[in-house]
Amino acid sequence: MTHCAVMASGTIEVYFYGELPADRRAQVDAHLATCADCRALLEDLSEIRNVVDDRFAAFAPPGGDWSGFMARLAREIPADARRARDNFASDDLPHRPRFAAGTNVRHRRWSPAGLVAAAALLSLVGTGVNLAMRSRFPSSPPVGAASVPGGVRQRPDGEPGFAALSGEHFGRSKLVVLGLAAKDSARATSADWTYERELAGRLLSDTRLYRMAAEDRGLLSIAGVMRDLELVLIQASFTDAADPEALSRIQGLIRRRDLVAKMDVVAMAGS
Amino acid sequence: MPAFDAGLLARAASGDASAFQRLVEQHRSMVYRMAYQFAGNHHDAEDIAQEVFLKVYRSLDRFRQDSQLSSWLYRIVMNACIDHRRRDGVAGAPIRGPEQEERVLNTPEASPGPEARAYAGELNEVLQCEIRRLPPGQRVVFLMRHYEGLKLSEIARALGLAEGTVKRQLHAAVHRLRRALTVARVTAGERV
Repeated sequence: MTHCAVMASGTIEVYFYGELPADRRAQVDAHLATCADCRALLEDLSEIRNVVDDRFAAFAPPGGDWSGFMARLAREIPADARRARDNFASDDLPHRPRFAAGTNVRHRRWSPAGLVAAAALLSLVGTGVNLAMRSRFPSSPPVGAASVPGGVRQRPDGEPGFAALSGEHFGRSKLVVLGLAAKDSARATSADWTYERELAGRLLSDTRLYRMAAEDRGLLSIAGVMRDLELVLIQASFTDAADPEALSRIQGLIRRRDLVAKMDVVAMAGS
Repeated sequence: MPAFDAGLLARAASGDASAFQRLVEQHRSMVYRMAYQFAGNHHDAEDIAQEVFLKVYRSLDRFRQDSQLSSWLYRIVMNACIDHRRRDGVAGAPIRGPEQEERVLNTPEASPGPEARAYAGELNEVLQCEIRRLPPGQRVVFLMRHYEGLKLSEIARALGLAEGTVKRQLHAAVHRLRRALTVARVTAGERV
């Protein structure tokens, strides 16, 4: 495997799958005539495809018997509906999926010392990074209700508990967003933002659940900001950290979505 | 993927159990196939498929009619696959802290590597094992491209990712598989 730039860009795979436009395809044809490494990659891709074609595919449980599967689903659905009802009735948190019997369910708990440390860290990082943000993103509009489409105060009496919880979630997530936004993308190595990647992975499921719960409740502004946050967290979690462009792309996403300002507005509205 | 029946979906969302059952029957083969390709065994495939249909059931009333139904279902399947992997942890060990979750998503499956497989069988055996060892994010994208035949743009839309991210995940997956192929060829050559 070599350092051919065309190969490193992933273009050969796109060529192999027949998804390149005609003009780009002609360029790659010309490149292949001179690059043995890319030709070798094409051969390997063909071998991989042959293996995939031969791979055993199961379309149904053993013996094609769906009866056990359907019976289990029929048992699970009423139980799941009961759990969902109980969850929503007892608190205002979004429904956390429960899993079928026999699978592991983990409960996450923070120690008091951990909470104090996290709060102190959030405060410290938030202050420092906010200062950095002001100089890095001068074009960001001023924080205000108008910067969130529709404004989160459109339903001032609607579910204040949920809005407050959403605000707390944005407060937790800000550590990641500000941390990513404040890094110097030209100099940062993948190790420099490992911490933010880990936090993003931890926050992703909760963000998705909050977003779905907000959509459920018709709280479209909160849902919209949650969706933007979810996109940033997905990018941060799944992007290859060794990719030198990854961080600047995520920063661009944060800037284009004006995420910091929107999270501030929603957090303030819920407090 | 079979076309969704909007009327059936509406009836299922309004609580019609037989409509929901019909919906499951229409799509269970596709869901099971993807789950099996991801997990590599019937036991986990059934768990994942169950989770998919529970999630569909929970979110029937949230589905927007203007959305792509196939994208919606693919995304649920993808999330269920990754959640299943996250719950099980690496090599079946329970995940002890939230900080391990991200590591798990990007960690290859623990199983014999290409050298051991090359001695045990053919090169395609090596590749098949390596596909199962891909980190979950790469594996989902690889499966959707190769088994479902979806274009990169369709995968990106279905998973809610940037097309560039999908391309990089696929490139990383192919890179891993090629490395395994190279190692296996060398090992097999040494054996001869």
